[in-house]
Amino acid sequence: MKPRKLHSSILSRALSRALSSSTATTTSPQCGSAFPLKTVTVANFEPSLTELRHHVRSSDFVAIDLEMTGVTSSPWRDSFEFDRSDVRYLKVRDSASRFAVVQFGVCPFRWDHSIQSFVAYPYNFFVFPRQELAGFGPCNEFLCQTTSMDFLARYQFDFNACIHEGISYLSREQEREAIRSLNSTHDSEWSDISKLNDVRDAPSVNMADILFTARMKDKFSEWRDGLLQEQNQSGQIQGTRKDSKQQFQEMFFKTHPALKLDGFTSRQLKLIQLVVKKHFKDLSYFNVNNEVSGSQQIVVYTDSEDELNLLLKEVKEENHRAKEAKIQSAVGFRHVIDLLSSEQKLIVGHNCFLDIAHVYSKFIGPLPGTPEEFVASVNKCFPHIADTKILMNTNFMLQERMKKSKKSLAAAFTMFCPQIAGGSKSTELVSPSHVKVNVEVDDSRSSSWNPGGKHEAGYDAFMTGCIFAQLCNDLGVDFKLHESSKQLAFNEKLRKYINHLYLSWMHGDIIDLNTGDKVANSTPSYNLKRRYPKIMFENIVIIWGFPSNIKAGEVRECISKAFGLTAIVSVYHLDATAVFVQFSKTELVSDFLLLKESLERSNGPISVLHPLAKLLEGGNTCAANYDTYKEICGSPLSETLFADQANKVSMKWKTKLIENKISLSSEEHESSCLHDNANDVALNLVEKIKPNKIDQLRNDQSRGQASPSEIEESCVAEANL
Amino acid sequence: MASLFQLLLLNQKRSLCTKVSTSKWKVKQVTTSNFNESLEEIKTHISSSDFIAISMEKTGSSSTTPWHRVQPFDTAETAYLKASQSAQRFQLLQFAVCPFSVTDSNNFVAHPYNFLLFPRDELKLGMPAYSFLCQTSQLASMARQGFDFNACIYEGISYLSRAQESVAKIRLGTGSPSLAAMKSSSPPTVADTVFVERIRSRIKHWRNTCKNSGAKTSKDEEIINSIRNIVLGNDQFKSRPCLNIDVCSERQVQLILQMIVDFQDDFLPLVIPTKSGTTQAVRIVLANSREDKELLERELHSIEEEEGKKIRGFREVIDLISASQKPVISHNCINDCTLVHSKFIAPLPSEIDDFVSSLCKSFPKVLDVSYLMKKSGTMKKVANIRNALSYVNTHFFAPVDMEIPDQDTEYKGNVDGLDALRLSYLFTKLCSILKISPIVPEFGDRRLASELEDFTNVFHPCSDDIQESSCNEDVSVWTNNTRKINCEHLVFLWGFKFGMTAGMLKSALRASHDIFSGEFDVRFVDKSCAIVVFWQPGLSRDFINVMNGDGISGGLKELVSDGLRVTCYETYRTMCRLGLWEMDLAESLEKALECSLSDKEINCERKSSEIHWCNDNVINFADL
Repeated sequence: MKPRKLHSSILSRALSRALSSSTATTTSPQCGSAFPLKTVTVANFEPSLTELRHHVRSSDFVAIDLEMTGVTSSPWRDSFEFDRSDVRYLKVRDSASRFAVVQFGVCPFRWDHSIQSFVAYPYNFFVFPRQELAGFGPCNEFLCQTTSMDFLARYQFDFNACIHEGISYLSREQEREAIRSLNSTHDSEWSDISKLNDVRDAPSVNMADILFTARMKDKFSEWRDGLLQEQNQSGQIQGTRKDSKQQFQEMFFKTHPALKLDGFTSRQLKLIQLVVKKHFKDLSYFNVNNEVSGSQQIVVYTDSEDELNLLLKEVKEENHRAKEAKIQSAVGFRHVIDLLSSEQKLIVGHNCFLDIAHVYSKFIGPLPGTPEEFVASVNKCFPHIADTKILMNTNFMLQERMKKSKKSLAAAFTMFCPQIAGGSKSTELVSPSHVKVNVEVDDSRSSSWNPGGKHEAGYDAFMTGCIFAQLCNDLGVDFKLHESSKQLAFNEKLRKYINHLYLSWMHGDIIDLNTGDKVANSTPSYNLKRRYPKIMFENIVIIWGFPSNIKAGEVRECISKAFGLTAIVSVYHLDATAVFVQFSKTELVSDFLLLKESLERSNGPISVLHPLAKLLEGGNTCAANYDTYKEICGSPLSETLFADQANKVSMKWKTKLIENKISLSSEEHESSCLHDNANDVALNLVEKIKPNKIDQLRNDQSRGQASPSEIEESCVAEANL
Repeated sequence: MASLFQLLLLNQKRSLCTKVSTSKWKVKQVTTSNFNESLEEIKTHISSSDFIAISMEKTGSSSTTPWHRVQPFDTAETAYLKASQSAQRFQLLQFAVCPFSVTDSNNFVAHPYNFLLFPRDELKLGMPAYSFLCQTSQLASMARQGFDFNACIYEGISYLSRAQESVAKIRLGTGSPSLAAMKSSSPPTVADTVFVERIRSRIKHWRNTCKNSGAKTSKDEEIINSIRNIVLGNDQFKSRPCLNIDVCSERQVQLILQMIVDFQDDFLPLVIPTKSGTTQAVRIVLANSREDKELLERELHSIEEEEGKKIRGFREVIDLISASQKPVISHNCINDCTLVHSKFIAPLPSEIDDFVSSLCKSFPKVLDVSYLMKKSGTMKKVANIRNALSYVNTHFFAPVDMEIPDQDTEYKGNVDGLDALRLSYLFTKLCSILKISPIVPEFGDRRLASELEDFTNVFHPCSDDIQESSCNEDVSVWTNNTRKINCEHLVFLWGFKFGMTAGMLKSALRASHDIFSGEFDVRFVDKSCAIVVFWQPGLSRDFINVMNGDGISGGLKELVSDGLRVTCYETYRTMCRLGLWEMDLAESLEKALECSLSDKEINCERKSSEIHWCNDNVINFADL
């Protein structure tokens, strides 16, 4: 990839885009053998939508794929083994609400009986969250992850096309809100049309204003008198009088004679409003919003009060309609989502939980707080979703085939659909077990193209769809017998895979969209993958803010010294500033928090020489149980380091700990004197720590690893106790 | 809609094109492909110029939420906090640098450059930025001006800040070990002594064999030597023999390094780190002689330099500007400087003094053109450089000649990054209008004209002394507005009925309590929150006391029952410190109140440290 060459091609592309709005479809202009793909931007959105509507209606299933500006907002928001499913969901929610979707691939697949193959219609939509309605619409800010941007750049993603010509959207909720606010102003909209908005705010004390007002008064009365004369001497045309300045243009507004005002400042318009209102009963000022001509200021002559009211009503409705149309056009790309939702087609994605979360948060509404609510609402919008990753992994036979290759989409594509991925020209040679797929773009069909298409959402959606078709075939779904009127989703052989999504791929949590239940993953390979002992979330303490040179091993060492070697099951780094510590027993969690709290409160030699002192050095070490971790993950803030995030979320962490302690201790029915004074706490500690300490010493000796200094240290500690 | 947009874009392009073709505004565009050669060029230009104008384009500004921007009622401290919040969240995409010299009162020579930047994680360390925020409106407006995002993201130059560089060096292990930094923390134990002696004898043995093998070479011995090399872990480093000693703690590294000093100085120890930053082994290189050792050290140093250059990327330019100690010209000093500091020096400190002193170490003189604008009599706040320039062009007659001597300045139909050049033009023009001589004396201490010195390093957005000096003549007109008040007399007010105007709120307040019988003003900050200004000292405190007391009655009780809330300026300050940037100011203040209630003691501590800020608590009411 030579940068210079790249640059010139970008430049020419950018130029061609900027200069010609007529390039409706950029269907791989350079060479005919590249993958055919319909690229959709603002310029050709309307016709493409109509076309797509037709294709989706006649399709058997629709594959989708999204390109986002990033996946994780900070390193600690990555998915970990230690994520409970609700925490995992919170992380997905964070990702979906922060990052933007820049490309949306939609690819309807239709089984064509006549040629015994699938026909795919890949669409590649450029999406950009532009604010087209003032005050409404997508959030003005989005996050970019540098590595993701780099990834997109590597595949020559056209950022200019995206930002210049990406299609904007309104979510359903945003649209509702826009309409609501439109309706609420509807009643008070007199202001827009004829009411003088706070005329008192602009008192005409200025000499210039007074002169201008007088001149306007003359102008209007002259015009009105002219009209009246005309009426009296009917038939006589009087077209000679034309204002030299062209500021007034005579016209007819809904069969009423009117003057169109042009080239006035807002202040002057305000004064004109005032004049009209004050001096002319039969004239009225209108501010008309029209779909064709935009906003217009006119002064209209009406014969009677009734006529005026009628006209007012008419204008009001027209303005309303214009605004409604504006909202409709601002809905933009969401029309595609509405189409998929209303057609109730089977949606196919590849590892698509995050994709679905993005679709929901961008086009439906803000993501709900729990996975259960989310799943229920998604199911309402998209009743049938299939994930190719589930199909690949829950089926043992397919599992075997995938075992050796990588798990990426492109790898799966070459694995399952070698004849399509290889772009072999002679489709006849393909074995019958392979599903044939033709691609149709702008009514021209092709079945062969150069392999290795660009990494674009449209192409990815196409690959996903091909894999799905092939997997269905492998599962024994016979498309030849399949009637297109019947939903593929209800097929007996597929049914058990539909609406199952990986909540967390790493964890193997599968969520059922129909019920919201988590489905146990029984695949053999998954069990082999598990590297960590079973995770008991209630046994976990999260510690952050400790001195930066302490590593997981040392944390384990410190805590083992205080609680015994068997106390800790595992220590896991969340990032450089935080660790998870899983204890062997649930009680140890509260014991640890209590001990830490009391050590921090007493400044005596115990706290200095205590094995935990190393961990607490610096006085910024915080600890909390797993629920606090969940709370921190659910926070809308995003700091790069976990410790910073945690401190921002629980700014009063000290009180937080005390709360924790009280609730925990009350659970355990410990004597309340424990909190009363430090001495008692210390005494309690001695009892608690002693056996452990001896235990630990013995252990150390038996293993023959304790260094002399270490033993010395612990002895001193004991002596002091 | 679409076609309208296209048309707009076209118009924009055309207007820019005509502008360029009629004048000689041109800027050298720099991307990764021509960065190295441009760096050499700009180096000479920076050293030969008197001033350096800078301007940058970032992925967002806080302009959509008005109160997130620096407001007139901000003190230097809150203004800094606001600027630093924006600097931390957004990314730089373009950095225009224009070194220039004023040769004559109305002639200047400029060398404009425009660097496209993109924070690429080239070292896979999550630096310079893991993620960054973009503002759609900002990107859209950049797109309208013809910004090429593809060029920026594909070919933008990456960079690391100074702080990030040192972290990266540690993690990559390119940092050379220095004995001075390794202080012996504890007296040697028995184990230490044993370890040192073992290593010492091993090194001795190895050295002897090395020296011997150099003396005579028979074939048998060569074979034996090569076998020995394998057994002992000998190796070659830069065609010199070396020995790798595995270590298992930093303590051992320290011991080895100390012991090496005891040997003659033909040993050069190198620390080989692991990925996580700890040391894996110590490589001891045997040099032939003292000269050879120095040669080797130099060689290693230059390799390190080369690596460093790659790591620093665009920051080389910043370092060049910093090293030149030339005055830097900017348009919005506080925003630009916080941005430069956070991206190229180190994360922003939480206190403004720390920031100013840290910045001054790198950039001793920063001049803000907007103060010169103010001095020229512009009361209106001009948002961007282009508007400022056209304003000055239409209001003053002061012809300025511009010279761009570089013949190889590339012009590819791309006119990005003109702002730095515009800025230098504007600066020269304003100097000529204000009759300030911007010519820097060739010799001596290179001091600037005293008028200019006044404008350097002013980080307060509405600093008063400058205001006063500029408003001398206009006092009669502006007295009403240039009234200044201590921020103690301000009270933040929210929770009133939606859709109230300032006038309505003022009359509602006047009717509510006796306190409002005196002179006071109401100003809306955003739709949810207003500021009440008490002109009479002490009343603000009384008002808050009344609100917090039990004896609320009458109209005020009615308002409070409707949800009226009140707090003092201190809460606003706390809010800025805590970084509570909600969409609505009322929401943020509410949160700040919650926090300050729960940790009063932190507040108390802070109070003492803030006393010296009192001077800056004076606010210019004109801009309110």
